[in-house]
Amino acid sequence: MEPNRHIGWFWVMITLAGLFFVITNAPAQEAPQQPQTLSAEDEAFAVAEALEEDEEPIPQIADPLYYLNKGFFHFNDKLYFWGLKPIAEIYRSVLPRPFRTGIRNFYANLKMPIRFVNCLLQGKTDRAGVELGRFMVNTVFGGLGFWNAANLEPNLSEPPDEDLGQTFGSYGIPHGFYLVWPILGPSTLRDTFGRVGDMFIDPVTVMAPDASSYLNAHEQVNRLSLNIGDYDSIKKAAVDPYESFKGIYLQYRAKELKQ
Amino acid sequence: MIRAIAIVIVLLLNIQMPVYGAQAKPLEDIRAPIENGIALLKDPQYAVASKRDEQREKIWEIIQDIFDFRIISMMALAREWKTFNAKQQKDFTEAFTELLKTNYLNKIQGQFHDEKVIFLGEDLLTEKKAVVRSKILRQDTEIPMDYKVVFSHGKWRIYDINIEGISLIKNYRTQFKNILAKESPDALIERIRETTREEKKNGKPNA
Repeated sequence: MEPNRHIGWFWVMITLAGLFFVITNAPAQEAPQQPQTLSAEDEAFAVAEALEEDEEPIPQIADPLYYLNKGFFHFNDKLYFWGLKPIAEIYRSVLPRPFRTGIRNFYANLKMPIRFVNCLLQGKTDRAGVELGRFMVNTVFGGLGFWNAANLEPNLSEPPDEDLGQTFGSYGIPHGFYLVWPILGPSTLRDTFGRVGDMFIDPVTVMAPDASSYLNAHEQVNRLSLNIGDYDSIKKAAVDPYESFKGIYLQYRAKELKQ
Repeated sequence: MIRAIAIVIVLLLNIQMPVYGAQAKPLEDIRAPIENGIALLKDPQYAVASKRDEQREKIWEIIQDIFDFRIISMMALAREWKTFNAKQQKDFTEAFTELLKTNYLNKIQGQFHDEKVIFLGEDLLTEKKAVVRSKILRQDTEIPMDYKVVFSHGKWRIYDINIEGISLIKNYRTQFKNILAKESPDALIERIRETTREEKKNGKPNA
């Protein structure tokens, strides 16, 4: 070829090369920049608003029995500080932790029928099978449930707990309104019906009706001994403890319902 | 000749110039400070009472760096933020930040017993919003903890913590909403200060 044509093509290539580099290096397209006149405050607020839009709304609930509930809330609070917590602390000092986690596992294992039946009622048959499998493995190889032998089997890893309150929720039944029971603590109309219903399939209540209140009390004290301080922390961090615990209960149940 | 051009074009299309992402990954921005914080907590030189305040200050520096308290305060009030005047907004942010600082520093300093934080991963929800998932190993229990992070002013910062499905911001928003339904913004600010005072009186952990 003549030298001129070589040089011509050469410049075409350079231009093409340049274009390609420019295109592949274009920065990721972002939303148009905010005008510089927005103050830092407004900018931050815009960010906050945008973040909130995608958030799930806070679970709301009616509280027609507000004054009664609040009364029971204060009663439970005193009961905790003057009764349950001291008892749990003594219990904790007497029983080493491995025993207490064993006891926790024992009761959890025993209450399998509640979880099993509610899994079935929600159509979660796979999970029901896992619950049954765990029960058998933990009972036989875990010393009646003291030890979670089933955790060694990856196919039998612990499924989320199910109860009748969640079953009702899965049928679309709403909470109704907020309730605070003395001793038993926060609940809702729906969850209370759930608790009562579960009592009919609770082995502790069915097989040992007279001892059941003592056994349930033991289970609660044992569980508390593993978590002493949690209630205190949440209460101290709250500006309005009653509303804080209400909110936490509702958020927690909403989370459980999703699982 | 045509072939030469074709080859060059193909080569150019295939060269991957390193495209520097608009932002670093969320997990990296917060992992290092959190791990530094834990190292601080474990550092034996701070185990003596005289050094506790110093430890507190250092931990607070880290926290201020990775948490965006302005966004946190705005989100805790949500719609009510605009009903506060400028002074109230400022007072609220200060008071609420002080509440969080007092409460959580006390808790972290006082109750840290060799917990380990394991980072599980990150989920980018939008260009500027992500979730960093972690779990805390405490004795024989695992507590899932998620950090919601937002990309603002050049780095990822935390704007919410989610423990076992409970969101910190939502919890405070519920409380503030209910208080503001019956009381004025100034009353809310005073209640926040009152809670902080209580905590300061009772809560300071011993060595």
